[in-house]
Amino acid sequence: MSRTVAIVVILGLTLAFLIGPFFIIIAASLSAGESLAFPPEGLSLRWVFKVFEVDSFRESFAVSMFLAVFGTLAALALGVPASYALSRYQVRGGETVRLLVSAPIIVPGIIVGLALLRYLVIPTGITIMTALFLAHTALVLPYAVRVVSASLDNLRTDIEEAAVLLGCTRFGAFYKVVLPNIRGGVLAAFILGFVTSFNQVPVSLFLSGPGVRTLPIDMIAYMEITYDPSVAALSSLLAFMSIGIVFAAEKFLGFSRYV
Amino acid sequence: MSDYVSLSGLTLAYGNTVAVDALDLGIEKGELVTLLGPSGCGKTTTMRAIAGLITPRAGTITIDGRDVTRVPPSRRGVGLVFQSYALFPHLNVFENVAFGLRVTGGGDLEPRVRAALQTVGLSDFSGRRPAELSGGQQQRVALARSLVMEPKVLLLDEPLSNLDARLRLEMRMELQRLQRQTGVTMVFVTHDQAEALALSDRIVVMRLGKVEQIGSPEEIYARPRTPFVADFVGFEVILPQPDGDALAWRPGGVVIGAGPHEGRVLGVSFAGERREYLIESDLGRIKADAPVDEAALAIGAAVSFDLPRENAVRVSA
Amino acid sequence: MFQNRTEGLALALPAAVFAAALFLLPVAILLSEAFRSDGGWSIAAYVDFFSSPRDRTVFFRTLRLGALVTLVSAVIGYAAAYAIVQLPPGARGRIFGLVILPLMISPVARTYAWLVILGRTGFVNQVLTGVGLTDEPIRFLFTETAVFIGLLQLFMPLMIISLVSAMENMPKDAVPAARVLGANWFQVFWRVILPLTREGLVIGGTLVFTGALTAYITPAILGGSKVLMLETLLYQRVTVANDFASASVIAMILIVMSFSANLLLKRIATARQAR
Repeated sequence: MSRTVAIVVILGLTLAFLIGPFFIIIAASLSAGESLAFPPEGLSLRWVFKVFEVDSFRESFAVSMFLAVFGTLAALALGVPASYALSRYQVRGGETVRLLVSAPIIVPGIIVGLALLRYLVIPTGITIMTALFLAHTALVLPYAVRVVSASLDNLRTDIEEAAVLLGCTRFGAFYKVVLPNIRGGVLAAFILGFVTSFNQVPVSLFLSGPGVRTLPIDMIAYMEITYDPSVAALSSLLAFMSIGIVFAAEKFLGFSRYV
Repeated sequence: MSDYVSLSGLTLAYGNTVAVDALDLGIEKGELVTLLGPSGCGKTTTMRAIAGLITPRAGTITIDGRDVTRVPPSRRGVGLVFQSYALFPHLNVFENVAFGLRVTGGGDLEPRVRAALQTVGLSDFSGRRPAELSGGQQQRVALARSLVMEPKVLLLDEPLSNLDARLRLEMRMELQRLQRQTGVTMVFVTHDQAEALALSDRIVVMRLGKVEQIGSPEEIYARPRTPFVADFVGFEVILPQPDGDALAWRPGGVVIGAGPHEGRVLGVSFAGERREYLIESDLGRIKADAPVDEAALAIGAAVSFDLPRENAVRVSA
Repeated sequence: MFQNRTEGLALALPAAVFAAALFLLPVAILLSEAFRSDGGWSIAAYVDFFSSPRDRTVFFRTLRLGALVTLVSAVIGYAAAYAIVQLPPGARGRIFGLVILPLMISPVARTYAWLVILGRTGFVNQVLTGVGLTDEPIRFLFTETAVFIGLLQLFMPLMIISLVSAMENMPKDAVPAARVLGANWFQVFWRVILPLTREGLVIGGTLVFTGALTAYITPAILGGSKVLMLETLLYQRVTVANDFASASVIAMILIVMSFSANLLLKRIATARQAR
């Protein structure tokens, strides 16, 4: 029995360390007091409501949402054909292509952001928003390729030949036979990409300008100025959003298979 | 060129590896021809070339008088039943069978699909997904999916290899019945000589990308022409002759007990109505069968045996 | 499978060109910046960086924190992973989910929690003063300890995940067999569990180490300008000093370290496939 006790103690302490802090920010965000404290000084939802009143939060949330959705869609638009080519064709230089598209995962984001600012935004004069979009697309591309490739590799290839023999074009076979069967993988790639992009800080660090800022950057900036619990409330809300997305994805997709 | 399907000088290669070398083969309308051989002999590659999934390095393929060598797979009028069936996992049985008709816009979809499902005995399963079917049922769906397109040639790639022994026998009969019923020309690929002998009108024995022998099952079984074919159909005792040819015996053709050759028993196994011996002799290791009513010889026992000329076939080495 | 090579290339090309033009090229120019000074080529920027005591301190602090976080993750990770693998399947999945969950949550939110816990009026100080262990609140924020704790919480799940999957692939009876043969728990760990999970340890270790090395948020929030790490130093060099040469040096150091760790990871992954 001492074994069971040991297991419970070890897991209890580990999970307390990993997850405990969330309960503390949730508690802190329900504080009625003026400054951040735990235990909270009285209970109220005032800081939760405050989150929705801060203009910069609303604006940066919209920016982050836009980047996470459209950056990920763009990454999939580039990544799905590339994954398909890498898994089904003998592409000359296939390894180089694989290395290229997975490079953004190896190079720290802060460097990507700085490089884009200095050698793309400044010389070409494109907007910060465009640069952010391109940066987030590049950032999500490796995840898109990895997850979609994995589900393509698990799909047998003879069904495409069967479709072709039954009268499909190559594209038709992809659209009618391959895509429906890797839908789970594509959706998982979208969710992983969305979460990665939404939570991303270093890439966006240098890519911010007047009125254009991602939400996490805005949170860091806000907490440097004020010490009120509204960032705690916002953090709690974001945590619940992530938990909700991941929980739904796990329930409908078996998401953890793809991570 | 009266053949319905004709391959001439067909050479197929993957990169630098030549899988099939200058193959010539004619198949008549309504015939069931088996490509038989061990793995790597080029039989599956040949079949895939007929389907158009591989572009030949040299040679031509004609079907029903039309040169289809450069015609894409979908316009050859060829059906293919894959070894693993290759059913579409996301579609139910009905939609799997209907797939080709929907893609090519063929009319009378519903009745044609129903008829095809009836032919293979799966009328009650049209709403099921492939994953909910047994191996034999999946096989039938794959057959129906090809047959509904009314192909000129139906290719079958080791279709029985994923089934258990009892089901395999059943499917074999089913295939013969289907062929008789539909009159479709079939090319059947297998490595199992019993299957080939049981099913085929004609057998093409292949080895290392070349044809070893073409003949009826009876011919292949009784009169193999090369040591390879002989060994493949059970003439396992092959002795080279001074003239360069060789003589081959089945283990049952070897007579144990008396004779000019001496040997020692290396192993014995009981196989129901006979005992199978492995004998170490001056002629090398020899397999020989003896009736069970004769007393068993012990391992290590001295034995004399005969290789009667009348039990042998002559093969050219 | 398909022989048409141009078609394959056409499908792969957009992604490759995108990555090359928008990613590789700008980064390459940035990295070359350190070698350019006054129109010529030189390694002066590198010499400057490593001869500055302040920069060296940051460099070694980053390495030290990375190594320490990896080591402690491994120790706790082994205990936690072993405990998880002992659970019945249903509970195992649920606990495993709880370990993965933090990875999906904004690192800003995760790091922010430590402000609440470690701050002057935070949870820990409340407890310490409440119990009477100390009269004055202890300063935790903007210390290496705070950064260490933040990084540990951020990256430990990666170690646990790798070790759990390594242990699930361990032969089921290896540990009981060793116990029956008379090994004590230390020997079981050292001679059986460790060798059989070495790959998982290396994979998890690489992920944690590179993660900690290239972390920005944690040192920025919990370390401030007192406890700089390489990424926060880079940010400071660009925004405060406009010093792109030294930013380029730091970028190169980060990329080289991250790249070599990933190379190691890839080698291990392919070695495993080859078996």
